[in-house]
Amino acid sequence: MASTRQHRRGLASEAAISHKNSTTSSNISTNVADSPLTRHVTYSGVWHPPTTAPTDTVIATAYRFPMMIPERFVAYSASHLHLPLRRDILHRAIVYEGDKTRQGTASSKHRTELAGSGRKIRPQKGMGMARLGDRKSPMLKGGGVAHGPHPRDFSTDLPRKVYDLAWRTALSYRFRRGQLVLVDGKAELWSAQGAFVRNVFSTNGWGRAAGRSLVITMEKRPNLFSGLQAAPRMGEAYTWNDVDVKDLLSMGRLIIEKEALDKILKRHQSDLTKTYKIVTTTP
Amino acid sequence: MPPRLNLLRCSGSLRSPATPVLPFLGPFLPKAQPLRRRLQPRLQLQEQRRAASILGSLSDVRGAYNKRIRRGRGPSSGKGKTSGRGHKGQKQHGKVPAGFNGGQTPLEVYKGKRGFKNNFATEMAPLNVDKLQSWVDQGRLDPTKPITMKELNASRCVHGVKDGVKLLARNAEQLKTPVNIVVSRASAAAIAAVEAAGGTVTTRFYSRTAIRRVFRGEVDPAISLLSPPPMISMFYPDESRRPKFPYRLPDPAGRKDLEYYRDPANRGYLSYMVGEGEGPSLFFKTPQQIAEERRIRMETKSMAVSDATVVKADNRLW
Repeated sequence: MASTRQHRRGLASEAAISHKNSTTSSNISTNVADSPLTRHVTYSGVWHPPTTAPTDTVIATAYRFPMMIPERFVAYSASHLHLPLRRDILHRAIVYEGDKTRQGTASSKHRTELAGSGRKIRPQKGMGMARLGDRKSPMLKGGGVAHGPHPRDFSTDLPRKVYDLAWRTALSYRFRRGQLVLVDGKAELWSAQGAFVRNVFSTNGWGRAAGRSLVITMEKRPNLFSGLQAAPRMGEAYTWNDVDVKDLLSMGRLIIEKEALDKILKRHQSDLTKTYKIVTTTP
Repeated sequence: MPPRLNLLRCSGSLRSPATPVLPFLGPFLPKAQPLRRRLQPRLQLQEQRRAASILGSLSDVRGAYNKRIRRGRGPSSGKGKTSGRGHKGQKQHGKVPAGFNGGQTPLEVYKGKRGFKNNFATEMAPLNVDKLQSWVDQGRLDPTKPITMKELNASRCVHGVKDGVKLLARNAEQLKTPVNIVVSRASAAAIAAVEAAGGTVTTRFYSRTAIRRVFRGEVDPAISLLSPPPMISMFYPDESRRPKFPYRLPDPAGRKDLEYYRDPANRGYLSYMVGEGEGPSLFFKTPQQIAEERRIRMETKSMAVSDATVVKADNRLW
């Protein structure tokens, strides 16, 4: 009860702007009476305008790994897991990541960087041959490279809010297509054998025939990680802070621990939240 | 790529558990089906559906890309003969230092930039009440019907509308005819003048695109989803005869716009949203709201002590 009330107080102004349940809330359970549009009914008492806002929350099923027994339902804000598909935003995020990932270490030696003498090879005139300077000339074999690559930074900029939107858009895309498998607890196996991993994955329809699967965990799960290294055709496993937007979209589905999903969502919501100063009072 | 025949799968060899080590997988395996059914084409297609990645179909919006200008490729390209470099001299053949103006003083000193351009400024077309009265007197506007910027523009009472129409109070005493007028903004004196003549002013939100569409008749000139019923019935006394439009008039999303149209002093069409004891601002609270919040906070604090266990960790996202 107490939390609902806090929710309403904290969000009244923001909710009226965004017309949907804001995600700054600490409590994800939403009350219909808290909806900014229905809120006016209580005041005017006459009518309420049509609700254009989509449903505030979506329900995901959390499964027990690896038997995939449904354990419970989890509610997520629609602005986290039910965003519309924005191919342009995803493209920008993936290009940004690709640029950032480029090593940019290609290096070649210009004639000024080559070791060697600056002695003139032959006289300027009178030999019946072309004019030549020193041995390091890019025209000669063993000479420098005229316009070769040098180490540089390829990274480009992307506004943080756009990047965060891309993360949630990618997750929403997966969720809407039923390709986001939520794991309740740890996604760990009790054997690291490749054959065992292959069986688990192919039985669940997660293997190569179904586009492979990306497992995202909170921490390194030793059996799962080494098992998937032994059976790379089934998929890959990463911890939550090792994945990027391209990873989210590259395989057939995401199998993600709920805790890891929450971490990712929390990290990538800068376009939804304002930064508040948290004032704690000690009793 | 054409669909591949997955013959291995038809044999069923992959459908059975590979090792007996996995008793837990038993219930989750598909039940054995007769071979005839497995060979049915529909089922086959479904099984052979390949996981298509979205990565190949991602692209930024078209406006984000520019077509490369091909220089020196003929007169019809516009960059043909001199490739956009003009005639003769250093500028044609090579580089000239940036800002170099031929003499001693560089360009940025000689004609530097001054001032700034506010990209967020709104440009309102002015509409004075005396002009409105004149148009009514000439019979160019019908005062018995609500007047929107569609009528105003069609009768050329306003022109060149960019971000909206603002009602102003020049020669306010001349306004005698009661009119129901819907504009983007209105000055306080203009509101007073219209209401003194027995008419009404309603301000409502228009975007630039919406204005263009209003003029083209592609969108309702005044009614949007958040318009209150009194406003709808002012335009359409008979709901069943309300015309249909291909587009929908937008409502404001920005805070400043919302606050303007929530304000009853501006005769904003969203003023019904402001509850008792609330102000139009979405940021500043009224003294009543602050007092109410303080009361609730005290209550919550006392409740939190007793119901500390009510909020379970399970209900929290973080």
